[in-house]
Amino acid sequence: MSMEKILDKARLNDWIAALAKGGDWEVHAPALEDGVWTYKPVGDAVRMDHPNTKQPPKGFSFPQREVFFSFEQIKGEAPRLTQVMPDAKRRAVFGVRPCDGRGSVRMDRVFADNVNDPYYQARRKNVAYVGLACNTPPAATCFCKSVGGSPVSTDGLDVLLTDLGDRYHVTAVTETGKAMMAVAGSPLADAAAADRKRVKQVHHEAEAQPQRAVNNPDAVPAKLKASFNSPLWEELARACIGCGICTFLCPTCHCFDLNDEMTGTVPIKGNRVRTWDNCQFPDFTMHSSGHNPRENTAARLRQRVCHKFQYFHENFGMLQCTGCGRCVSECPVGIDIVAVVNKVAEHVA
Amino acid sequence: MINIQDIRDTARDLLAKGEVRAVIGWRAGSRGMAVEPVVITAPEQADELVWDPTCYHNLALHLVEDRKFLAHARKTAGAPIGIIAKGCDARAIVVLMQENYFKREDVYIIGVSCEGSGVIAEWKVARQLDGAVPTAAAFAGDEFAFATAAGEKRLPAREVMADRCLECRNPFPKEHNVALGEDKTGRALDAPFAALARFETRSEGERWEFWQRQFERCIRCFACRSVCPMCYCEECVVDSINIAVAPETTAEEKANRIRWIERSAVKSENITYHMTRAIHLAGRCVDCGECERVCPVNIPLRLLNNKMEREARERFGYEPGASIGGPSLVASFRDDDPGAFIR
Repeated sequence: MSMEKILDKARLNDWIAALAKGGDWEVHAPALEDGVWTYKPVGDAVRMDHPNTKQPPKGFSFPQREVFFSFEQIKGEAPRLTQVMPDAKRRAVFGVRPCDGRGSVRMDRVFADNVNDPYYQARRKNVAYVGLACNTPPAATCFCKSVGGSPVSTDGLDVLLTDLGDRYHVTAVTETGKAMMAVAGSPLADAAAADRKRVKQVHHEAEAQPQRAVNNPDAVPAKLKASFNSPLWEELARACIGCGICTFLCPTCHCFDLNDEMTGTVPIKGNRVRTWDNCQFPDFTMHSSGHNPRENTAARLRQRVCHKFQYFHENFGMLQCTGCGRCVSECPVGIDIVAVVNKVAEHVA
Repeated sequence: MINIQDIRDTARDLLAKGEVRAVIGWRAGSRGMAVEPVVITAPEQADELVWDPTCYHNLALHLVEDRKFLAHARKTAGAPIGIIAKGCDARAIVVLMQENYFKREDVYIIGVSCEGSGVIAEWKVARQLDGAVPTAAAFAGDEFAFATAAGEKRLPAREVMADRCLECRNPFPKEHNVALGEDKTGRALDAPFAALARFETRSEGERWEFWQRQFERCIRCFACRSVCPMCYCEECVVDSINIAVAPETTAEEKANRIRWIERSAVKSENITYHMTRAIHLAGRCVDCGECERVCPVNIPLRLLNNKMEREARERFGYEPGASIGGPSLVASFRDDDPGAFIR
């Protein structure tokens, strides 16, 4: 039995206060800071009129930097290691768009379902996503529908909110979501039959909004596989400047690096640190010999595109791209993953 | 007023006669109004070229990439490479030549004047259009014209031009083989260094607080470095490992490489990165403003580089990008230098 409620927008803050107080949740929501929509701990007022945040909520389960353990060795003694686990705080993230909810599903495949990454899992189990359906016209760079998503998808979310003007329709997606709604008390009223009807209509209209598209996405993995040696990659990457925007802003890019950061020398002291890494950087695949198997931007662009649309599909049976469009809108030189995939696929007989 | 046909004809002609092996320019993009950089190699591709207020990329960067490509492939250039260059692009090319990155005869500069106008800042346009999505942008005298689903919208240059263009004194590419458009040098809507001057009305404490917050926000995507034509080093101080290793580089040399800056995108490391970059650009930055444009988290990086540029101008009368043959800021001195140690 699904749980559907109605929330007056004016009472959104009451629900958030109840979560913070009764449910011990640290609530985060999008805030406009320095012209950039960013998830921030909630202050007095929550705005949810954001198109999408500049960065996806991926950092809640996979932060850009995290310490795995600290180490110390006094000369002549055995080294001492101390594991550093994430705090156990529960975090509720409001305003997550459906593309980013689906991004979280893909991150889980990598770090929770496929391997046992205790750091990721410790954070993930304490994060809940309160999604917000996209029922305004999509951005020019949105393409969730052609990669299996939807502007009203609930994948990866715990609760889905739908904006009905002066009210939100609130649906629980998971047990966690139900529990979060249960602590709300009076702000969440039962949804009347008319509300249920209205939300269906709104979702239907949202799904009917035209978007740009990856053509024939089912055929894309095989077509990319056949295009590995295509000279097209060089042409498509010609303008690429090799920065890390596309991957650092991606809801599903998950490559990382491990480094020991020294904090002292006598005794030797430091931290083992995981940071995001980036397949678009020249040093990503650099060997210590000086050989670099992906030595140019063409090889690196191909890697990113094929990871999203071929390798991940081969490994997990789903496309890794969720169509959020960040890499498209933020690329300094206009490299457009939709155009790239379509062009490469088109050139396969 | 520049006619796009003149740009296309020039490029086509140069390619057809074999006077250049390629032309770096702009073509229509696939994701909305913004154009994208392109390298064309055949005369018939000349019709792809465009010129509009989203031609903000400093194409000198692609000259650097061409040079690197040739060097790595151990190829010689043959005919020069053509490039369409705005005032700031041309100044960047001058600095690169001054530093012997390539020779004057290796580059054919098709100068395009910004004619007192300039390129737009997309965030300013978005703010003005209030939700309407522009699909194309055009120059329209003192205004810019935007095509939207609700028809054409005109916005005054003052409201939507990039800050760098508002303050630009040299919209005409003085260094060129051929130049299109009028030389309206000197027309600036804002005083030079206006944004910096506004910023400097804050107290030292406020400025320090401001920069701490900005550097805390940096995600170290390195777009500012990647987009900068002056950041051409094969190996950068921030790279996590040696890029420029050779088979003869010993294991000790690799292991003992000093990590000046850790990989972690945290304030201390980010500050070191940005300060290092600012110092390396002193006397070299031509204020194309690309670092600030591409920053995904809107860090106003121009303020740092402008500060260095103004210091160079006020203390040493030095202007980057003015002369290929002239001395560089850091490799020259004057008899009347204010510092006693130099004499």
